Amino acid sequence: MSDYAHPEVLVSTAWVASHLADTERVRVIESNEDVLLYATGHLHNAVHVDWQTDLQDPDVRDTISRAQFERLCSRFGIRPETTLVFYGDKSNWWACYAFWTFKMFGHQDCRIMDGGRAKWEAEGRTMTTDVPTYESTDYDAGDTRPEIRALRDEVLDHMKEGGAMVDVRSPQEFIGEISHAPHNPASEAAMRAGHIPGASNVPWSRAAASDDTFKSREELEAIYLSEQGLDPKDRTITYCRIGERSSHTWFVLTYLLGFENVQNYDGSWTEWGNLVGVPVEKGMPDADSSIAD
Amino acid sequence: MNDRLREIADELASVPRELQVELLLDHARQFPPLPERYRAAREAGLGRVHECQAEVYFFPEVADGAVHLHADVPGHAPTQRALVGILMEAYDGATPAEVAAIPDDLLQRMGIDRLLGPQRQRGFAGVLARLKHGVAEASA
Repeated sequence: MSDYAHPEVLVSTAWVASHLADTERVRVIESNEDVLLYATGHLHNAVHVDWQTDLQDPDVRDTISRAQFERLCSRFGIRPETTLVFYGDKSNWWACYAFWTFKMFGHQDCRIMDGGRAKWEAEGRTMTTDVPTYESTDYDAGDTRPEIRALRDEVLDHMKEGGAMVDVRSPQEFIGEISHAPHNPASEAAMRAGHIPGASNVPWSRAAASDDTFKSREELEAIYLSEQGLDPKDRTITYCRIGERSSHTWFVLTYLLGFENVQNYDGSWTEWGNLVGVPVEKGMPDADSSIAD
Repeated sequence: MNDRLREIADELASVPRELQVELLLDHARQFPPLPERYRAAREAGLGRVHECQAEVYFFPEVADGAVHLHADVPGHAPTQRALVGILMEAYDGATPAEVAAIPDDLLQRMGIDRLLGPQRQRGFAGVLARLKHGVAEASA
């Protein structure tokens, strides 16, 4: 892992195993697509943060407020100096989403357990259904970092300036060939199919190895720098359908490749594909490029 | 909804969140294995519900006016396993008309809409629509 631009943010399952007991300094957080998965078994001393019910406001379509975030951290006995280790299902999609949310609220020391839940299980490591409780703290969020999030107007301006964007959905979603189920055409949750003009298409999964860990820096550079021609100095926006897969790529570009200014557009296609009056592009921008999922 | 589904829904709706999780996990654990005769179709990716982020595969059968639902959902998706398992249990042997009448606001009636959040409710709406469509097709 030492080749990455910021190797300290990625920890191995072995590192986590040897730090599970250090609850004074380390809090391990599981974050999954499936809301019941944590209850079936999880790492010792790990707490559960759900992207839908803990990190998103139930009424307004937005993340939780700063005050709600402080309450969440306080409930888990987290202090501003606590080392947080995120892991989860689905190649760490939701772990990366939670990581991104905690970073946005200014938490300093956030890390991802490389390989997530699947790797931990594959290695036959211990799991438990015991839910830990921690003495609550009075968490005070420091300086927030709203700059790692892109809102729709910023995305529109960025698009007009010809800025770099990475659409991490499948090629079928990107070119606008959404396979509507004929009996349920509204299921895609977007009125229009296609992508934001100027975006390149790099499905998130290209950054992941078969064991759910991140690919090596060399392999990642071959994809994002050589093949796609992205420049680590350029402001770059990532998006997908609802902002979770793009958190994975946001993490890759920011911490593994050292991009200086990456923003996750969490409104993503469910917002853009429903906006009135914004441009939508269909098909591949470059007919010669063939990108495998 | 039929009596068995109403019974399950009422039980879920009457208990606090922690117990809802336990009840749903019980249903997930009782999920029946996919019959061998559908294994090849499942491996080929047929029957996949694309509206749902979890991999859900449906193989509805209608014989002599009675519905038999078969499905496969991976073990790492216990929420879908629980919900699909509940429908399979409650509607085994039911008529196609009964399946068509499963209420679309089932999750609210079960009192688990807040537990799941809006995005997962959308996913399940796709599963339910697909199930109804599959049964209607099989009975046509």
